Amino acid sequence: MSATHTDAIATCWSCGAAADAGHFCPKCGTIQRLPRGTDHFRFLGLPRKLWIEMGELEQKFHQLSWKLHPDHFVRATEEERELSLERSSQLNDAYRVLRDPVARVEYLLAIEGMRKEGATKQQAPPELLEEVFELNEWLDELRGARAAQQDGAETAGLRKRLEDAARGFEERLADVDAQLMAAAKEWDATVDSGDAAAGRVVLARMNEILNRRSYIRNLVRGVTQELSQ
Amino acid sequence: MGRTVGIDLGTTNSLVAFFDAATGQPRCITGPHGSALCPSVVSLDPDGTLVVGEPARRRLLTQPERSIYSVKRLMGRGLDDAREELKLFPFRVDPDSKQVIRVRLGDRVFTPPEISSYILRELKSWAENFFGEPVDRAVITVPAYFNDAQRQATRDAGRLAGLEVLRLVNEPTAAALAYGLHKSQRGLVAVYDLGGGTFDISVLKLISTGEGDIYQVLSTNGDTHLGGDDIDNALLAVSREEISARHRVSLEGHPESVQELRKALVAAKHALSGGESAAVRVLLPGGAAYTREWTRQELEALIAPIVERTMSPVRQALADAHQKPQAMEEVVLVGGATRTPLVRRRVEEYFGRAPHTGLNPDEVVALGAAVQADILEGGASQRGMLLLDVTPLSLGIETMGGVVAQIIPRNSTIPASAQDAFTTGVDNQTGIVVHVLQGERELAQDCRSLARFTLRVPPLPAGMARIEVKFLIDASGILQVEARDQRSGEKHSIEVQPSYGLNDAEIERMLEESIEFAEEDFATRQLIEARNEGESILAATHKALAGEAARALGASQRAGIAEAVEALREAMKGSDYKLIRTRIEDLNRDTGPLAEAMMNQVLHATVEGKKLTEV
Repeated sequence: MSATHTDAIATCWSCGAAADAGHFCPKCGTIQRLPRGTDHFRFLGLPRKLWIEMGELEQKFHQLSWKLHPDHFVRATEEERELSLERSSQLNDAYRVLRDPVARVEYLLAIEGMRKEGATKQQAPPELLEEVFELNEWLDELRGARAAQQDGAETAGLRKRLEDAARGFEERLADVDAQLMAAAKEWDATVDSGDAAAGRVVLARMNEILNRRSYIRNLVRGVTQELSQ
Repeated sequence: MGRTVGIDLGTTNSLVAFFDAATGQPRCITGPHGSALCPSVVSLDPDGTLVVGEPARRRLLTQPERSIYSVKRLMGRGLDDAREELKLFPFRVDPDSKQVIRVRLGDRVFTPPEISSYILRELKSWAENFFGEPVDRAVITVPAYFNDAQRQATRDAGRLAGLEVLRLVNEPTAAALAYGLHKSQRGLVAVYDLGGGTFDISVLKLISTGEGDIYQVLSTNGDTHLGGDDIDNALLAVSREEISARHRVSLEGHPESVQELRKALVAAKHALSGGESAAVRVLLPGGAAYTREWTRQELEALIAPIVERTMSPVRQALADAHQKPQAMEEVVLVGGATRTPLVRRRVEEYFGRAPHTGLNPDEVVALGAAVQADILEGGASQRGMLLLDVTPLSLGIETMGGVVAQIIPRNSTIPASAQDAFTTGVDNQTGIVVHVLQGERELAQDCRSLARFTLRVPPLPAGMARIEVKFLIDASGILQVEARDQRSGEKHSIEVQPSYGLNDAEIERMLEESIEFAEEDFATRQLIEARNEGESILAATHKALAGEAARALGASQRAGIAEAVEALREAMKGSDYKLIRTRIEDLNRDTGPLAEAMMNQVLHATVEGKKLTEV
């Protein structure tokens, strides 16, 4: 959902009093409608920053769960029940996404319009090209041996090489994650300074890092799957 | 508005419980047979009477082809995905079954939700008799690993039984609620729930907050086709083989003998939870007796593979919760099958601690359901308890090439939602088909199909129409879908045709039938009552005619009474309860003088001993 669809809500649907951005009407206490396109940061009253204190996030999640959960609205009007369902599901979605550092970055890129869902590039990052090429050759060799029913003692060495390669790629993942966290810090700094142009640059870099990350993960998964057969 | 109860609709037994405000504790309601356990068995007598519970269980032996047990195994399942169950269980499936299985009892055909609704109705009547008030709302428990179709089928059963289903609660979570109330343990708790037909494992975090206690499920896993039934089937297979080898007798075509044998083996299995050996003796068709001594060691060797099958879900649940087995501060055992010593040993070995067995494993789920019912009635904050459960299976939609795109991952706290935008691929396309699936596999064909629906769009150039679809899993774990035109913001109505469920029209028809059926039930009850009353008035008349007072009657009065007695006897042979009532009234009128004479006599006898002024 893009930000253009956000329609701010000016008054409480129930009593007509001026509304603030809270979950409940400041005057009558009725659960409020949710403006379309409210993102998870705004929903939780958080700045759009990547460093989130986990203890605080959990506490916020619990506090809001008490207030918004459908358990409280069994006897309420149909509209209130629906609003409880809508708000409590977004609360759960927000908590699920924001507590995971990588999912958090992906989400930020999505709401900033920098990442299309399911449009991750399948091209190998240039610095990995050579190794990936070699890995694919070994995998072909293994598949060939299996097809010829010679996947036993003959392929022990090949399997060992593949395992080592997969482990090497897994170590790369740790590097990639470190790069991502460094970029996340930079992003937060641009939010604080209000430098939107610098922010776009950081977002683009994070997008690239994420693509590399998912490429390596898929690679490792593919090798593990092939080895387990 | 009537009362609200908690119901454990189990594979083998079902229970109903309520929250007793006087004691501040949940409590199970006992049925007419003196037990809180209602066997989940339904039987249809040849005269069309439906029998549920203990009497139906007895009919498994006398009329197996008119009785059904373990119907929970068929809930929300299609013919194709129940093949395994059908090999092991004597379900008589109607050949006309399509997406929803239909089973035969005698000459009538029922869907699994209908059969379950009779069990729910029975429990509802237990509770109504107990309260002396109507019961119209319930919290019903389901295995945590039940998919959307199985949940919907359970909710449908509630509706068919005349109950508003306030919430479906996962069985291990319900158990945790009852456990938490019973013992104020906080921290990480694993619930291992091995029931009659299903296995669940849930990892929970019990947290104290300023507002009260939160029961947060971190992960859940399980197997909806693994339970005590499988142990029974393994025992049965061994015995049938021995019978055919030793006695040259096949039990094929002798369902009564199979049930007899099953019952004896189940009794032996129970005995082996406490004792070291147990004997089985069953008379075979043809008159020979099959006797067999089972030792606990032998039983354990036989069931070890079944117990081992529970461990893979256990490992997955812990991995999903990012926890080690040793981190659990308590392991709670739920379900009758956890009485098996081997299960207890295996659980203790894995978690490195003795499991908590202080709760009655049969009742704890129903008690937890009653607690949740109370929370819903009074509000979580009032009770100071809040349950945050998860969805057991990932939700996805089919994309190009039959690949599933996951939109809500498993173990997401519910309610949970996801949004996706759909567009057209060719010019003037007027419909976009959306296929929703549940499961962990990458290909649609390996996942469970939940629903297919078509989004209607106006004819436009390709890619111009944009429909935003919101998928929402509610607090009962059931999917709701809403679509909206992204530009106009207009809501689309979607007709979701469940892949393996009953549609609204079918439920409506069943509801109508069940109301008619309820009227039939009413007529049957009236008939029984009228006959009973007839019997007692006939007996009283007979006694009175032989007594002193009858001498006062004239010949015509005697003849009148004799005629009325005959007429009542005749009416009682029939099934028209209104006619019986009329004849009872006739007889009452004709015996009026006799009653008067008797009354006078009594009065006379009393007055005689006293002075007139004292009367």
